[in-house]
Amino acid sequence: MNDPALDPAFVDDATVVVDDVSVWFGQKVALSELSCSFGPGVTGLLGPNGAGKTTLMRVMCGLLRARRGGARVLGVDPRQSRDVQAHIALVPEEDAVPEALTPRQLAEYQATLGGVADRDAVERALAAVSLTDVADRRLGGFSKGMRQRAKVAAALVTDPRVLVLDEPLNGADPVQRVALIELFQRLGAAGRTVIVSSHVLHEVERLAERVVVIVHGRLAAAGDHRAIRDAMADRPRRVLLRSSDDRRLATGLLGLEQVVAVELAGGGLTVSTGNAGDLALALPHVSRDLGVRLREVRALDASLDSVFAEVTR
Amino acid sequence: MSAPSVAAARSGSPARRLPVLVAYVPRACLPPRRLAVLALPCLTILAAGLLAHTIDEPVNEAFADVALLAVFGLAMPLGTLVIGDAVLGAEVRSGTLPFTWLTPTRFWELAVARWFGGWLVALATLVPCAAAAAAIAGAGELAAPIALGAATGAAAHVALFVLIGCITRRAAVWSLAVVFLVERLLGAVLSGIAQLSPAWLGRQVFVGLGDVPDDLSRSGVPEGWDAVIRLGLITAVCVGLATVGLRRLQLTGVRD
Repeated sequence: MNDPALDPAFVDDATVVVDDVSVWFGQKVALSELSCSFGPGVTGLLGPNGAGKTTLMRVMCGLLRARRGGARVLGVDPRQSRDVQAHIALVPEEDAVPEALTPRQLAEYQATLGGVADRDAVERALAAVSLTDVADRRLGGFSKGMRQRAKVAAALVTDPRVLVLDEPLNGADPVQRVALIELFQRLGAAGRTVIVSSHVLHEVERLAERVVVIVHGRLAAAGDHRAIRDAMADRPRRVLLRSSDDRRLATGLLGLEQVVAVELAGGGLTVSTGNAGDLALALPHVSRDLGVRLREVRALDASLDSVFAEVTR
Repeated sequence: MSAPSVAAARSGSPARRLPVLVAYVPRACLPPRRLAVLALPCLTILAAGLLAHTIDEPVNEAFADVALLAVFGLAMPLGTLVIGDAVLGAEVRSGTLPFTWLTPTRFWELAVARWFGGWLVALATLVPCAAAAAAIAGAGELAAPIALGAATGAAAHVALFVLIGCITRRAAVWSLAVVFLVERLLGAVLSGIAQLSPAWLGRQVFVGLGDVPDDLSRSGVPEGWDAVIRLGLITAVCVGLATVGLRRLQLTGVRD
């Protein structure tokens, strides 16, 4: 292992330490010799679907035992200590909630089991996610986004020192998305260790300064999100365009310095670019100048899997 | 890379947690759909009381014949399976167990609470139906013995199904296999199995304490109060093993 003091995968004031963790299910390796740490503030856990983010989060919370290595939260193994569970909260990605309960009942349940004495904690948690008005409706009738917020409220009610959120913004509408991001940032600023997973890079960028990237169960990168973004942006990307006149648009695009190649095929235009961001800015101007109407703009290799493959190559 | 220790863990006492954990069972683990499924064994038990009228034998004997087959052989195992699977196995499968698991609750508290909560549901649903079936059959004096047999059998069955929920992901399938293959099939021919079977021991409680013909008793299997004690032991062992099972449980998530 590298010197942890210099390795961006580690932080000085760690509350969660993941040490050489390997997990496999039958023949499938979910995590492989993964080591990193998390400290106060918001950290984004980034990786494509199936990268092992959820497995890592479950190991960190103690829901899952690592086959090799292990995790320590606040200095103890969460599989061994039940007391440490009072300081950890997980918001699972899964849609599952006790459907017969209301958000208030779920939060009260967590508060009682977590030994929370403050009677106002439940109301505060519900208010933090704007669920006060529907706090007495059954979770079974909630949308995915509302369920997610109810789970966040249940997690917040114990005021945990370590908050682990697995794709918490899934299903949230834009307004709630902003509110949740602000909430997580406030918690991080207040000294809580907030670990948020996502497979969407720009989402993590808005949430966290520090990002830990996992690909195929291995640590791919860690550190400031800008450095990771730059590493990704330097790689060639392919973008599919459909327009009212693909041939005319192709001619115009070839004049742009950020366009590496253009290919007309399959009823569309495939553009290879060295800088997708600049292309996105230039594209509306080019199409307007040429009098071409854009019908579709889609990144062909926008999946994190392919982008991460580039980063980790 | 220091990691501060948990200085003073927030403590909740078992006395505060246990009632909440038990109350969670009927509130959260048994939604209306599952209660509707539970209604089927309840109706089967009540129907057994009616069926007894169709048998041309003395009332007690007729009811005992039907009860051994329909109540102890079918409805009670299936009814307690519906409850026992709901209180733990279904939560593991659906992914809602972490809401309880990720709290300072001790594993023994969780095992005891889930068993006790499930047993209370059985006491409130299946057991009254068993007593009512005796009354419907006109064998009111058998109401207490059948209720005791059903209650003690349900305690052991729920504990067994909670244990299965801790140690296997397909708890409902394994529970069905235990009921039909182990208890019904193997238990019918092997006394050694019947001696450990909640279904057989439950019926032995009924046969031993009720005024029914002696030839209905299964030889080689404790009856009456001895069967009650045996069921108590089985319950305690299953809840104890469930505590160990919960400690080892791997909550991988629904998609894994």
